[in-house]
Amino acid sequence: MNYQPPRYEPFELHGDALREAIVRYATNPIYLDNEEWENSDNPYRRQLRPQVLPHLDFDRVPGRDRILEYSSLAAQRLLTSIYEADLMFLPKGGLKDKYEDFRQFYSPGNRALGEMIRPALERFSFGFLDEEVEVSGKWTKESFASYITSLDADSPAEPSLSEKAILSSGDRERAARMWLIQFAPDFLSEASPMIRNVLGHYGAPQSEWFKIVIDEYGYGVHDTKHSRLFEQTLESAGLQSDIHRYWQYYLVSSLMVNNYFHYLGKNHELFFRYVGALYYTEATLVDFCRRAAALLTEVFGDGVDARYFTEHVHIDQHHGRMALEKLIEPLIEAHGESVIPEIVRGIEEYRVIQTIADEDFARQIAWMDNGPENKKLHAPVWEAITSGRVTAPVADIVEPHAELSNTHSHEGDELCHIVSGTMKFVSGFDSYQILEAGEGTVIERNRLHGAIIESDECVYQIHSVGDYKKCLS
Amino acid sequence: MSFSVAGRENCAEIAGTPYVYARTSEGSFVMRATCPHRGGPLHLATLEPEGNRLVCPWHTRKTSMSRMRQEIPAVRSGDTVTAVFPGTAEADVRLSYRPLSVDLAG
Repeated sequence: MNYQPPRYEPFELHGDALREAIVRYATNPIYLDNEEWENSDNPYRRQLRPQVLPHLDFDRVPGRDRILEYSSLAAQRLLTSIYEADLMFLPKGGLKDKYEDFRQFYSPGNRALGEMIRPALERFSFGFLDEEVEVSGKWTKESFASYITSLDADSPAEPSLSEKAILSSGDRERAARMWLIQFAPDFLSEASPMIRNVLGHYGAPQSEWFKIVIDEYGYGVHDTKHSRLFEQTLESAGLQSDIHRYWQYYLVSSLMVNNYFHYLGKNHELFFRYVGALYYTEATLVDFCRRAAALLTEVFGDGVDARYFTEHVHIDQHHGRMALEKLIEPLIEAHGESVIPEIVRGIEEYRVIQTIADEDFARQIAWMDNGPENKKLHAPVWEAITSGRVTAPVADIVEPHAELSNTHSHEGDELCHIVSGTMKFVSGFDSYQILEAGEGTVIERNRLHGAIIESDECVYQIHSVGDYKKCLS
Repeated sequence: MSFSVAGRENCAEIAGTPYVYARTSEGSFVMRATCPHRGGPLHLATLEPEGNRLVCPWHTRKTSMSRMRQEIPAVRSGDTVTAVFPGTAEADVRLSYRPLSVDLAG
């Protein structure tokens, strides 16, 4: 008798099954909308806007030109929540009434549902890198060394678009706070993604990597732990430092940067990519942190605590070298030159993501700074609609007092028009316009925003104009 | 060194030898733009229908793509390719333009 074992089918979720699983995960009470703009010392509450998820298609791979759209923001928020169920968070003020949220977040059910949808969300969120980065040819130790030299990663660089946007902003302190907020997902749980790679057993490089972790964790002295230093940076800049307080203000690209390392660390087949990305980030952080410390001091004065950044100026000189000489080179020696393409790919993928995040943040600061101009643009765009020159799909919405539209974005430009009542339209941290009846604002494509109703009731319309500039001619 | 995948400056000339980035149905890679036979324009080559070879438009000389794909280590990021050419440090290097055949242009 011939025994035929059942055929092995790799696990994949697609179509309706994927959509249903995502919605099921995100309808956990800890992921519902917040009634406030900020979370209050509750690391388990993450607004995933589950009411919108049934309408999104995650069963595809958006290209780079669509990677900042709302579907991507939703996916990155989901992934952040899924990855961080592996990390340990406790409220600063004690569990107290958050014990049930704690249990929910770390429950096997929440974690299992997250793991089911994670591969599809990773494909959706990072699949564009397959098109963006391609390694070819036969790589040797010598050609890799030439490539690393050509990167010149540890040399001084020009200020990034983000830094320029802060320094040229009409409200530099607000812009700098928005900037620090973007780092919070990464810096407040600093080095957690890389710790995924110090588990297991793989020889001397493992111990070398552990040395980097020891530095990041301040040698067991809590006040020197890098995440503690960053808490003090936040606090000295007038921000609070509890985990994900500013969840609603994270840009899609900021979450992408942080999630990228979780993605590489969680999927150990991407280990060599992680090593490459680690090298590049550690090597470039030296100059970045030098500029960041100077920028914060220029914006906030000498009272700002920039030790997080000055500490990295020093230690990352070692970490870049350690990543190259103690991790990468021994790994190539031990496992052969065939691992080099993955290392190169990690370097280049990280550079792509870094560029996307830099451009996205600079655009968001411009969008925040342009709030009054966007409000003025309501008049000509509204005129184009009422005169019939432009026809756009419209949604009529009625919301009660204190209704908060948790932050989101749209795939095309829109016009918000207030019919009656008062709306506070929020375009970033501490950035808003008050809109009264007859007023409104242009909402730019892919720009993070939210709103809260300040009158007893607000009746307003959202006109999906696509490209508001076409309404101006 | 880095150069463009397409358009102006899509060709890196290293000590007089031109290289372009080819995107074929069989994969992408940096390749010499001249045929090893008589120096024909290999950047205008066609891909042999049944095989893994490029056909030079001058004398229909066939060049193995599998060997060519291994020759130059490179990484493309978006529209820019960074390649490690042998002896680049001392060589005369310049960027120029070479049109690519449909089979090599992706």
